[in-house]
Amino acid sequence: MTEASPAPTAPPSRGFWRETWHRFRSERLAFAALCFIAAMGVAAVLAPFVAGTRPIVCSYKGRVYFPFLEYYFEGGQSGVFLQDGFLDSFPANLKKKDPSSWAVFPLLYVDPFRRVDADEREGQARDPSRGPPTLRNLLGTDDRGYDVLALVLYGSRTALLVGLLSMTIAAAIGVILGALAGYFGGIADLAISRAIELALSIPTIVLILALRSVIAQPNLFHLVAVIGLTRWETIARYTRAEFLRLREQDFVLAARALGSPWHRIIFRHILPNALAPVIVTLTFGIAQAILLESALSFLGFSAAGADASWGKTLSNWQSNRECWWLAVFPGLAIFLSVLAYNLIADGFQQATDPRQRN
Amino acid sequence: MLSYVVRRALIGCVTLFLASFVVYGLVRAIPGDPTAFEAGGEGGARLSEEQLAELRKTYGLDRHWTVAYASWLGNLLTGDLGTSFRMRRPVATLILEAAGPTLLLSVTSLLLAYCISIPLGLHAAYRFGKADERLSAAVVYLLYSLPSYVVAIYLLLLFGVKLRWLPLSRMYGPNYDDLTTHQKLWDLAAHLVLPVTCYTYGAVAYYTRFLRANLSEVVRQDFIRTARAKGLGEGAILVRHALRSSLVPFVTMVGLSLPALFSGSVILERIFSWPGMGRLFFDAFLYRDYPLVMGLTLTFSLLVVAGTLIADVLCAAVDPRISYD
Repeated sequence: MTEASPAPTAPPSRGFWRETWHRFRSERLAFAALCFIAAMGVAAVLAPFVAGTRPIVCSYKGRVYFPFLEYYFEGGQSGVFLQDGFLDSFPANLKKKDPSSWAVFPLLYVDPFRRVDADEREGQARDPSRGPPTLRNLLGTDDRGYDVLALVLYGSRTALLVGLLSMTIAAAIGVILGALAGYFGGIADLAISRAIELALSIPTIVLILALRSVIAQPNLFHLVAVIGLTRWETIARYTRAEFLRLREQDFVLAARALGSPWHRIIFRHILPNALAPVIVTLTFGIAQAILLESALSFLGFSAAGADASWGKTLSNWQSNRECWWLAVFPGLAIFLSVLAYNLIADGFQQATDPRQRN
Repeated sequence: MLSYVVRRALIGCVTLFLASFVVYGLVRAIPGDPTAFEAGGEGGARLSEEQLAELRKTYGLDRHWTVAYASWLGNLLTGDLGTSFRMRRPVATLILEAAGPTLLLSVTSLLLAYCISIPLGLHAAYRFGKADERLSAAVVYLLYSLPSYVVAIYLLLLFGVKLRWLPLSRMYGPNYDDLTTHQKLWDLAAHLVLPVTCYTYGAVAYYTRFLRANLSEVVRQDFIRTARAKGLGEGAILVRHALRSSLVPFVTMVGLSLPALFSGSVILERIFSWPGMGRLFFDAFLYRDYPLVMGLTLTFSLLVVAGTLIADVLCAAVDPRISYD
């Protein structure tokens, strides 16, 4: 599988991953989905540049500050602003307390963690609560007066983090257990297969609710760990099946004859060849993890802390049923990201399917 | 065959035992205990220390959880699932009462999903690659990626809040008891529409996608060419020959999709205030009602294990190539 059969256009045959990338790119929908996810990732990382009420860079009393960093690392704004009683409201205070100051603000003056008050900027009205979409609050506001666009944008940070991190945990557990079971067989296989069966027999939501509740004040990383700890079974099953298939092949026998230790055979020889179906499962898993996080937040089992999350905004709709924008936009964000990850997974599967290679 | 079924059933029992052990430990490890809800109870009556201790003793909270688990297991073997802390009624009765509404939802939607997805899958195989088939495949793909609770919220928003055509939640209207039988059925049906839609569309999309992929592979095989060569019509080939061989993996997949159905029921029943097992589980969990949580987890796990077992056995019964000795 590592060697693709020679393609007529390129005399030396391409490697497996280059060939896969080439084939993946020719699947327009899957490639578009990958671009969408990449764009979402960029938007999530750069959210404070798009929507926020803290200057990206400002000069105050002769020094230059970067107050937007607060959106990445919580914990007390830069001492000066706290001392001078800025109370989050930068534009008016900057002008009042240091007329020679200057500042560059994010594209939209809205905030996912607080309500924008009147006269923070000149002629600025107070953000309404339960306000429908307007030019100022493009996607409306929730019952606290927080901007929904900002909530959805910062929610994508949560989704990205949960999706990628929890699946990294799940993949680490699943691949190692699956590899051990498949490679060694015997008692290891028996024990691990039973563990997989056990994990599969408890409905995920039961396990997740229980695990999550054990921690009194779970933060986002606890939630990530809980989701990761409950989503490894499918990955383990696929890895095990691949290892069962591959361990009898000649190249493994050759490696063994050369005296390679078992961990080298597993991770250097077999795993690269078993990776394709595992990555497909993993990508579907990211979509599932995003879904789980928003479902948990929707049910009121969200992580403690102020993090914006699509599920939290959705659950806000439950007590404000007239505000359609509270349901439609976060719901759309969930749908689109799940769709994109599914498309990527399917595209990757097509691209690595040996039966479809020419 | 019989020895295989027996062996699998025994393994299933061990799995169930381990699952209940794990969940019991987890639930007991959750901070806060049911007496907290009792003490701050609805009546507002404050309990004294002695009464609290008495309460904890009746609930077995004074013992180590492994000891409490052993006595729970012992009671289970005599057929006693215990009594709900909160509702003061036998767990088995509560589960049986909630099973009705849940079955009503899941069986209705499962049947509907079959009735819709099999023709759709056949259509997909018949018109594979044509414009109309690709369009329907795209729609199915979109539905497949739509999370059911998002759909539930959208439907509630559209039909419940904006148009006010359908009831928002619960199983019956407020004046249900005064209605005639005919009106009662109508009332129930109106309440069923939205939840059944949410349960069904995902299954339809999943099954149709599956059948489409499977059938399109089957129709390339030799026995289909033979059928075509002897002059059978395309319709007869698909229904009588191709569909038959696709039914084996189809049955397996349906058995394996059971766990998702239960997880889904916890969220959907909560959104629609449907008085079923998912809702019961959610409330039991919220109030740390250990016996009820345990009873429901056991039921869910039992159904999952049984579903997998039945799928495997059916598979072996239908497909002579599979042997389990």
